[in-house]
Amino acid sequence: MLDLFHLVLQIAVILVAARLVGFLFQKIHQPQVMGEMVAGILLGPSLLGWLVPGVSAALFPPASLSYLNALSQVGLVVFMFVVGLALNPSDLHGYGHAAVLTSHVSIVAPFCLGGLTALYLYPRLSDDGVTFTGFALFMGAAMSITAFPVLARILTERGLLRSRMGTMAIACAAVDDVTGWCILAYIVVLVRVTHAARPAWVTIAGSLAYVLIMVFVVRRILPAFEREFRKRDRLSDNLVAVIVVLVLVSALATEWLGIHLLFGAFLMGAIMPKTQEFTHYLLHKFESVTVVLLLPLFFAFTGLRTRIGVGGGRAIWLYSAIVIVVAITGKLGGSMFAARLAGMPWREAASLGILMNTRGLMELVILNIGLDIGVISPAMFSIMVLMALVTTFMTTPLLEWVYPTRLLRAQMDAVHKNVA
Amino acid sequence: MAAYLLLVGVPVMGLLGILEAGRGIPAPLSIGGEWAIESDPTANCANPPGSLQRQLAWSISQSGTEALITLHDGHAATLEATIDGSTLTAKSPSGTIAATIAGKLGKRTMEGKISLVGCAPVAFRAVRQTPGKRGE
Repeated sequence: MLDLFHLVLQIAVILVAARLVGFLFQKIHQPQVMGEMVAGILLGPSLLGWLVPGVSAALFPPASLSYLNALSQVGLVVFMFVVGLALNPSDLHGYGHAAVLTSHVSIVAPFCLGGLTALYLYPRLSDDGVTFTGFALFMGAAMSITAFPVLARILTERGLLRSRMGTMAIACAAVDDVTGWCILAYIVVLVRVTHAARPAWVTIAGSLAYVLIMVFVVRRILPAFEREFRKRDRLSDNLVAVIVVLVLVSALATEWLGIHLLFGAFLMGAIMPKTQEFTHYLLHKFESVTVVLLLPLFFAFTGLRTRIGVGGGRAIWLYSAIVIVVAITGKLGGSMFAARLAGMPWREAASLGILMNTRGLMELVILNIGLDIGVISPAMFSIMVLMALVTTFMTTPLLEWVYPTRLLRAQMDAVHKNVA
Repeated sequence: MAAYLLLVGVPVMGLLGILEAGRGIPAPLSIGGEWAIESDPTANCANPPGSLQRQLAWSISQSGTEALITLHDGHAATLEATIDGSTLTAKSPSGTIAATIAGKLGKRTMEGKISLVGCAPVAFRAVRQTPGKRGE
């Protein structure tokens, strides 16, 4: 039975913790979302459950977590729609082979290193219920992801969004996101068909049919919303509700097909009309409740599943160090090297690598899917969460060190003077 | 084009090699999920611990060779276990378990001896009900 008192109390505690830690992290020049992610971890067994197990057990009894999970999943569905909505194919125009090479290397390099690491970690942190192929592909996909929303926020905060390196980073992150989600969809199908009653061909053929319908049928209907928006400069509540229903139906379709709820929500956002005013209007409509209320619940739920340093002995710290080093080498090193080969100066290439190394909450989304479908173990989940936190935390200070704001401002001023 | 082939094509071939090489790697036996116990581990208890009157189930959370066994005893007492081949050994203040894991992935069983605090060791047989979701 739903324990409403517990649920409301949990939400209140999570929101207070998220805002407080987010505020503190902003004080040390970290994005707010980084603080919210850490707040989630602090509320879980890694800190609260370790320091005061009685309080933790009273606040988050296991039986109550399913409601928290349900709420956070709804939040994620809306959030993935927002991520898809923010993706704009025009970001990719004009970068030619440099963006293609950099983005593809920034996927392939960490993917390969992730696969190589899987050779060592599979017999230690997995079991025979998971195939090596599924485990290695998941490791690769999780290592190669970039947090598009966090990256965009860091670039905006530093005034880098319109710089050459900033626009290149956005283009590469967009390619990475789409590729990463396609690979993940394949892995989910690969893992689920081995346990599902439904034949594999139904999932594969159904997924193809779904994508074709979305791209060639639904996408042609969606501009009607934009036309209505242009006429009135807003959308009626009824039309916003229709968009929400479309997102939910798309999410349900992918869940039914055996991929995952989130893919449907993401694709629905990706095929929405991309004029700036319309996109901003929808982002404003959907973002506030999702970012302020529902995402902190997801971070808290993730934190409750994460046991950093709990159990596993010293070996866990060794595995964590290996995963973090491999993730940084593959993503930061691969992107930087490819950008330099594509003609970028070293400083900009290094900055691009640092930005691409930001994994943020997109990594947490992927890791939760991996844990849910059973392709990674709880210990592997905790290690990867730690890696996501480290790679996101290091972005801002490392970027400031490699490409100081004063230098950036001076260069942008020089460009403006030349243009004038 | 040459740079693309070198930086993307070669690593992709390498990845395919890694996937092929990894197929032969043995992994620890999967024991995670919900288990039903087909005997009464408290049968020889002088003073059955707490509410543990007739222990009929436990759940296991597994990470490679390490596992956490949670007894459904009303207090969720836990035992840390290690898996070595087909042998499972668990020790904690709540008791000890020594068992052999058998059966195929879908029909995994465990047979051995369990000794809970205040009870004499008793033989048991457990059958995994569902592999279940991880992290729960």
